[in-house]
Amino acid sequence: MTGADLDGARGSEPVAQELRRRAMALFGRSLHIRTVDTGSCAVCESEIRLLSAPHYDLHRLGFFFTPAPRHADLLMVTGPAIRAAERLLLKTIEATPDPKAVIAVGACALGGVYSEDEFVHGAVDRLVPVDVYIPGCPPSPLALLHGLLVAVGRLEERVATLSVDLDAEPVGRNEGNPQ
Amino acid sequence: MAIWFYRGLRRGVATTRYPRAIDPWTRDLLTPPAFHSERLTVALADRLAGGCPAGAIRRDGLELVVDLGRCTGCGACEEIGGDTVAASGEFLLATGERSALIKRVPIAGDHGGET
Repeated sequence: MTGADLDGARGSEPVAQELRRRAMALFGRSLHIRTVDTGSCAVCESEIRLLSAPHYDLHRLGFFFTPAPRHADLLMVTGPAIRAAERLLLKTIEATPDPKAVIAVGACALGGVYSEDEFVHGAVDRLVPVDVYIPGCPPSPLALLHGLLVAVGRLEERVATLSVDLDAEPVGRNEGNPQ
Repeated sequence: MAIWFYRGLRRGVATTRYPRAIDPWTRDLLTPPAFHSERLTVALADRLAGGCPAGAIRRDGLELVVDLGRCTGCGACEEIGGDTVAASGEFLLATGERSALIKRVPIAGDHGGET
């Protein structure tokens, strides 16, 4: 993957183009993100914060961080959905106007680190519907950027073609990655 | 006022067009594992499943089921698996389908001997 891919859009399927056009029409080329912490260790937040540094400069792509869910289009939810944060998460989602997308960020939010018990739900999608999953512990800023672009349909998913079988045909694996 | 402030104004450039390409340091990132299915045995698969602190690996019959979403990239499976397991180097894994993150690797090694 190159920077041109991150800047522009790939994929020429009519459905994808239609989705992108509608997303652009709905959001007017500008999306506001609210981060919701449901018991994360704050490393995911640290990586999310790096996105607004000049290095990655999320604002050039039309994403902005907002302090209130009322103004948000995207919710980035981190942490294993602790039960103490249940009301917080549900009220935040209720307060976010439609159309909205919920992004689960990090291995905790995807169910990797804590199993379900009396303190945690264990995964965000056990509590609320999730639109995009971003794995990683923590996901690097580039992974987060990729996830945001996947969320608005500006970049195709890569994981669908990824194979973790090294003896299988290398379809889409490490494509363009200088490994 | 710092001189680079004026230079930025003159060129009308607030930021660079970064990231232009994937950075070289990304190869040091912790990434989920990839497996050599030819070297996987049932016994090794069970040890990998038992040794994964995130519970991302389990064995389903003659398949190793790896949940990339749960993987924290800790490298425990690489220590257990030796040359059977290598870091995949892939970290742009965002997806809208949770099931797309669950990968299945056939256990194509010596089935009979070590079970």
